[in-house]
Formats: sequence, C-alpha cells, structure tokens
Amino acid sequence: MTDILQILLIGAVLGGVYALMASGLTLIFGVMKIINLAHPVFIIIGAYISYWLFTLVGLDPILSMPIAMIALFCLGIVVYKLIFEREASSAKYSEMTVLLTFAVALSFDGLLGVLFGNIQRITSPSYAVEAVMLGDLFLPKGQFYAGLISIALIGALVAFLKFTRFGYAIRATTQNREAAQLLGVNVGLVSTITFGIGIGLAGASGALISFIFSFFPARHWEWIALLMSLIVLGGMGRLMGAVVGAFLLAIVSAFVGSYFGSTWSMMTFYLALFLILLVRPQGLFGEKME
Amino acid sequence: MTDRQNIDTVLAERDAYNAALAGTRRRGGSWPALLVILAALALFPLVQLTGGNWNYPLHLMLYAFMYVAMTSGWNILGGFAGYISIGHNVFFCIGGYVSGMLLASYGISSFLTAPLAGVVAMAVGFCVGFITLRVRGPAFIISSIALLMVARILFDNWDFVGGSNGISLPRMELPVQYVKIPYYYAMLVIAVASLVASYAIRHSKFGLGLRAISQDEIKAESAGIDTRFYKILAFAISAFFVGTAGAIWGEYMTYIRPNIFLIILVAANMVLMCILGGKGTVAGPVVGTVLLIAFNEFFVSQFGASQINILGTGIIMILALMFFPNGIVGTLRRRGRLPRILDWD
Repeated sequence: MTDILQILLIGAVLGGVYALMASGLTLIFGVMKIINLAHPVFIIIGAYISYWLFTLVGLDPILSMPIAMIALFCLGIVVYKLIFEREASSAKYSEMTVLLTFAVALSFDGLLGVLFGNIQRITSPSYAVEAVMLGDLFLPKGQFYAGLISIALIGALVAFLKFTRFGYAIRATTQNREAAQLLGVNVGLVSTITFGIGIGLAGASGALISFIFSFFPARHWEWIALLMSLIVLGGMGRLMGAVVGAFLLAIVSAFVGSYFGSTWSMMTFYLALFLILLVRPQGLFGEKME
Repeated sequence: MTDRQNIDTVLAERDAYNAALAGTRRRGGSWPALLVILAALALFPLVQLTGGNWNYPLHLMLYAFMYVAMTSGWNILGGFAGYISIGHNVFFCIGGYVSGMLLASYGISSFLTAPLAGVVAMAVGFCVGFITLRVRGPAFIISSIALLMVARILFDNWDFVGGSNGISLPRMELPVQYVKIPYYYAMLVIAVASLVASYAIRHSKFGLGLRAISQDEIKAESAGIDTRFYKILAFAISAFFVGTAGAIWGEYMTYIRPNIFLIILVAANMVLMCILGGKGTVAGPVVGTVLLIAFNEFFVSQFGASQINILGTGIIMILALMFFPNGIVGTLRRRGRLPRILDWD
C-alpha cells in the first residue's frame, strides 16, 4: 500500500510539472492552430537560462524562473513576428506551420549545441538532492517544489484567462476565430501575445525542470512526443484537458516505470499517443479535429 | 437511346478522360539528356583505374544516391499524398537491421537481401500506416514523431540486435580502391528505381488519386477514391525504397547501430531535401538532395562541427518554407522557367 501511495505521489508531482510544460503548447494550438514542435526546445532554452544564472551568479532557479519566463516571452514574440505571422494567409496553413516549427526546433537545437555542446547538465541547488518525509512516504524536495510552483502558475494562467479582458479575448479566439474578430477582438494582437505567453510558460517550466531532469540540446525530441501525448489525450487546445492528461499519464508512467524499469516509463507516453490516435483522435474532452 | 446506354457512354468517356488526364505529359521530354547523365554516372567509377584516390567523391555520390532514393520514396507519401512523415527513418533503420542481421548471422550479402529488407519495411509500413493514417494533417505528423521515439527505445533495448551498441558487420574483402564501387552501383540502381517508380506513380490513376487526396481528402473520397487504401499503399511503397537504401547503407557502414539510423537529422534531411527541391515533383528530390549535400559539404569543410550543420539545416529549412514553399522545381515551373532538363514529370 505504501508503495502504491509512494508511486502515486511521485506521479502526481511530476504530473504538475508536465502540465505546465504542456500548457503553453495547448494554449498556442487553441488560439492559432499551430502545433508547436519547437515547444520543448524553448523549454530547454529556459533551462539553460536558469542553469547559467545559477552557475555564474548563484541565482536560485526558482528565483530565476521569472527571468526565464520574460526572456522567452520576448523570444516567442520575435519568432512569431518573424516567421509565423506571414503564414496566416497561407492555404496550407497547418501543414506549413508544423514544418516551420520543426525547422525552428532544428535551428535552436543546433544553436544550443554550438554554444554549449551536447553535454548533460543539471542545475544543483541544495534542495535538488534533499527530500521530505511525509510519514512513510518519501518526496524529493526538488520535484515537490517544481510541482507546487507549476500548479500555482497554471492556477494563475487560468485566473488570467477567466477574469481579465485579455483572457476573454484569448478564450473567444480559441472558440471561434472569425466570430471573435467580428466582435472586435484584435485577433492578430491576441495571436502574437498568446504565442509569447505560451513560449514564456515554456521558459518557466524550463527553469523548473532544470533541477529535476538533466538536459542537453537534443533532449527536446524526446519531450515533444511526450507533451503531444498529454495534449492529444486531453483534447488539443483544451487547457484543462492538458492538465488532466498530464496527471493521468504521469501517474501511469510512474507505475510502469517502477514495475518495468525507467526506459519503459517513457514508452508509456508514446504508446498512449498511438492508442489515443487510434481509438479517439479528438482526445478525452476535445471535439473532432481536422 | 435508353438510359442504360447513356450511362455507359458517359462512363466510357469519363474513363477515357481520366486516363488522358493521368497520362498527360509534355512532348519532347528530356530523355536523351537524362540517359547521357545516367551513362556518365554508371561509368564514373572507372576513374579509380586512373590510379588517383577518388574514394571520397565516390562516397559522396553514393551518399547522394541514397538520399535520392529515400527522398523520392518519402515524396510518394509526403509529396503526392500530402502526408508529411518526420519518422520515415524508422524504415531506413528496419531495412538496415533486416539485412544487417542476415549478414551477421548467415553471411548473406546485403546486395541479395536488400529487396527483402525493402519488403519487410513495406510490411511494417503497411501495418503502421493502417494505424496512423486514420488521422490526417498535423495529427499524422505527431504520430510519425511518436513512431520514431518508439522505434528508438525498442532498438536501444533489444538485446538480440545488440541494443544501443549495435552489431558490427563483416567487411567485404576488396582492395581499398574498389571497396566503394559495389555500393555505388547498388545505390545508383535503387535511386534510379525510386525515380522510375515515382514517375510511373505520378502518371498513373493511383498517382492522380494521391494528388486528389493531398488537395482535398473528403472530396477525393466522395469522388469514389478508396482514400484509405491509396494512402496505406503510398505509405508502404515509400517505406520500401527507404528500407532498401537502409539495407545497403548498413553494410557499407560495416555496423548497424540505432544512432546511425534513428537520428532526427536523417528524417529532417529527407523532409528538407524534398521541400527544397519541390514536393510532389519527380525531379524535386534530386535537385534538393544535390543542393543540400553540396551545402553540407561546404559547411563541414568550412566549420567542421556537426552541430553547426544542424543549425544550418534548420535555417535553410525555415527560409525554404517561407520563400519557396513549392520548392525550386515547383516555383520555377509556376513561373514557366523550368529548364527542360529538370522537367521530369
């Protein structure tokens, strides 16, 4: 029983982190219908920002999270303005944007490799190696903090979407782009800012994972399929769907990992992705997608 | 005239029209020039007799032939049918492993088993396509990445094929100046076969159906095309050429290991070469392959590192997608400036 609770706990904490990683992806898909294959590479850029701030200045990764977030927000807006905005009128929009994000991922992957080399790195603040005991249960502090902050950030995002005028505009654009435009929403501005927010969230989650996973530039290819499985399970473009998907799959993979070994825990996500596409391509909460 | 006869005439006329549409080709093609080029390529290994060391040019050319074969295989699914796969190097890997394991266990040369490796890749492609082709557009692209990841984990952990260390293969006993020549011809044959197949598909009813699918799948289906079967067949055929090329490449490298087949750069190269040259054209993959390999050579000779290579590939891909979405062949054709030597359709 303790074993099962232990696995559930680790799975749930990781689920929070995965949910934050996937939230930007699903937000961007919801508003712009862009499947951002470059999302994990932005997460890794965020991780590098906190890694270097920690190594050079000694700034704690949790404190450097806002810096990574703002930096990535700006980077996201630049990338969107330079590359994606002009595709809006393209006839093969969804196909073109997927390929473009793939190319962006490749470029940043190469750039990070040139700058920092393909070395595994991990930020190591003191709490990354400590643990708290809850009765018989063992909980690594790093993962615990990362999970808590992730959930708090998602809460803040939900509040932003629910209670601010700009949040209304984002949700309206997600539901129906044309209708939102007719009602006076500046869809172009909403797209730009949403892309920035999505990439900013990627940066924030990068800062958090920098002390719980080791990372290197090419690692993002593993994560893209993982994140895709979460948001496909929840229904593409649904924020709450992505959160539920993240918790579900994180817990399942924690069980798979502890019974069959950690290689197979990654496999859970990929096989889940296949199964969902096979059985219910629109995911748990989604409408049928094109 | 009865209704029945009326319908028959209409149907006959429509069939004739369809056949004419599918078979449309320009008069005065570039055949003679292409045959001259092919003959030159076939005679090229003779330079080894001059005594100089031409191994590196031979290597580059067989590398180019391999990518021509893989890219035009990819083009059958990605260009004609419009289903973009970023995981097609899985079939490259399967081809390499089938032939490699046969060579390592029974000593049968890959030249004999390459077609078999292609057929195995085709069978796997058929099964995978059966699942993943249920979704279209972006969801298909995601599923192809997932396929690549699944394959990587499986091959990295499959002890029978050596896990992530792979297996080394026996070397062919040849003097060093001739050692590349058999592979050169094998890759040349596969490349030419893939181009011929691509041409034949483009001018068949099957190819017309695939093009209809890439334009608008729902309309294609309501026009009576068995879209599901067409797509799966296109997937399997494209896997065949990629798998065959993998079989020869494995023996050429003298070892098989997941990280020579299942790296994202191979898949990215296939996609990029096809897009750069022109998706859905016969000549596009050749143009894209030659350009990209020339560019890569330049980059490696100037800067050396493979990481810069990835960066360069990515940037070229962004620029190509933004400014030449139809590729070089496609854009030139649209402007009516395509040289006849490149007009292979």
